[in-house]
Amino acid sequence: MSEPAPTLTSRSADLAERSLARKRQRPTRRLSRLVVYALLIVTSILMLGPFYWMLATSFKPAADVFASPPKLIPNPWTLENYRFVFHNLPFTRYFFNSVVVTGSIVGLNVVFGTAAAYAFAKLRFPGRNALFFLLLVTLMVPFQVNLIPLFRMMVILHDVNSHLGVDSYSALILPGMIQVFGIFLMRQFLQSIPDEVLESARVDGASEFRILRSIVFPVAAPGMATLAIFTFLGAWNDFLWPLIVISDDAHKTLPLGLASLQARNTINWGNTMAGTALTAAPLILVFIVLQRRFIEGLAAGAVKG
Amino acid sequence: MTAAATGIERARQGPPLLQLSGRRRQRRFRQYLPAYLLIAPAILATLVFQYIPIAFSGYWSFTEFNGLISPKWVGLANYTALLSDPKFVKSFFNTVLFVVMGMGIGPPLGLASAFLLNNTVRFRAFFRAAYFLPVMTSLVVVATIWKILLNDAGIINQILRFFALPAHAWLSDTTTALPAVTVTSIWQGFGFETVVFLAALQAISRDYYDAAAVDGANWWQRLRYVTLPALRPTIMFIYIIGIIGSFQVFDQVYVMTLGGPINSTRTIVFDLYDRFRTLQLGEASAVAYVLLAILATLSYVQIRVFERR
Repeated sequence: MSEPAPTLTSRSADLAERSLARKRQRPTRRLSRLVVYALLIVTSILMLGPFYWMLATSFKPAADVFASPPKLIPNPWTLENYRFVFHNLPFTRYFFNSVVVTGSIVGLNVVFGTAAAYAFAKLRFPGRNALFFLLLVTLMVPFQVNLIPLFRMMVILHDVNSHLGVDSYSALILPGMIQVFGIFLMRQFLQSIPDEVLESARVDGASEFRILRSIVFPVAAPGMATLAIFTFLGAWNDFLWPLIVISDDAHKTLPLGLASLQARNTINWGNTMAGTALTAAPLILVFIVLQRRFIEGLAAGAVKG
Repeated sequence: MTAAATGIERARQGPPLLQLSGRRRQRRFRQYLPAYLLIAPAILATLVFQYIPIAFSGYWSFTEFNGLISPKWVGLANYTALLSDPKFVKSFFNTVLFVVMGMGIGPPLGLASAFLLNNTVRFRAFFRAAYFLPVMTSLVVVATIWKILLNDAGIINQILRFFALPAHAWLSDTTTALPAVTVTSIWQGFGFETVVFLAALQAISRDYYDAAAVDGANWWQRLRYVTLPALRPTIMFIYIIGIIGSFQVFDQVYVMTLGGPINSTRTIVFDLYDRFRTLQLGEASAVAYVLLAILATLSYVQIRVFERR
């Protein structure tokens, strides 16, 4: 196949050229499509297989967990592992704790993060850039740097009031209540609101808080959803900080509860997998319902942030 | 709140030319008050939960401190002690190895699968969601699942035996434990890389490819001169946040190996945690500041990259 030299410059010749180029790709396409699907399916098995194995193992009696050859489908199957987990560990409590802590962190971040982001994006005031820089600098600091001082802060708080500080919700919520990353993300987002809209609302006599409530929040809803997804994932899956500040079962979150089950019980993997499945289930369910939102939100956040 | 709001309204109603200078200052303040109120919670939280801790851990890194008796100034002793502590040195190199292996393999795989998904495929949403599922899942869950997969009697070894390949005690062998933890992490991050690369690929205008096809460019030339240049910012993004995140690896190590066997999976953050647990708070703070130095440099690069966009 020799390449025809592009001598004609008219639009129709150009179009003909394009369709020719497309036609030339066709025969290879059919084969490559087969390869594409094969690769995609193999990858899906690699990505979903471990989750399936978790689920299958959680329904197996102890003797079958490492059976050889492996039992792909639990037979006989049992609910004994789930019974064990619920009897020996307060898993519903862990779930409840995760919901309370994550809900608080997401709510606080969305409201206060958006409020601050609005001021930084759309209002003029002395010191605006300096204060924003003050916040921005902390993005460079990994959480582990704050870990020990924050822990001691929570110990002191606990001494002052035994309902606060270590082994309480406050310890889990306070350090993450307003994250700079969220402000940064929302500021990018809010800069796209035209100043004229805000200005006309001000002319109509609306206060900044009124504007925030009736213009900024509705317009910024997609951005706030992205922010909510980011903080939700971070808070729900957080492990190191809860590991440091929580030692009592009453305030453990799901990942922490699972880690203690896993460490306590290395003999019966069926039990551990039941706990793992219970820990993973809420998020997987949320994901199945909101998967497009989550994926596109995270991708958008990644591209924006 | 209402006082500030009415203040603004009054200020806007009054004709500015007739204001007296004393009142003007008051008016100015009232005008800015809403802005300050809006940012106050964020500023306060950042000062209390970021700046104060940063200052304290910086101070403690220069002291001998166990949390019980007040800290004693020792200058750079903690830092020099770290450099000559084989545990820390091992942690540092393990982390670097983890970052290099993970970033060497993970993002290219994610890019490859994004290319696959960028074809006109049916069920794209399903594949995308399947790959993304581990991203959503807690690392503790992921690590626990992989711990049973990699178990001596686990499914991976059974599959290997089926193909007459040698089984292996992946997590209890010092040479394979870190790679095993790395594979787990690559598996977890794969979907994120895929989704971000896919979004970037779909943002590239069709016209460039058509133009390249007209010029007779083959697939390699299209990749080399159209796709990769367009993906450059995304590749930078994935690598920078990937490297920053990988340097902080902890959860997987805690669940899968607790830093063992014989410190072969001990990482910087695990080292910090271990020192915290054994009340070597001075040294732990020094570890934190070493990590800060590494990551601040990387974040600085990141911010510069984004400013350019």
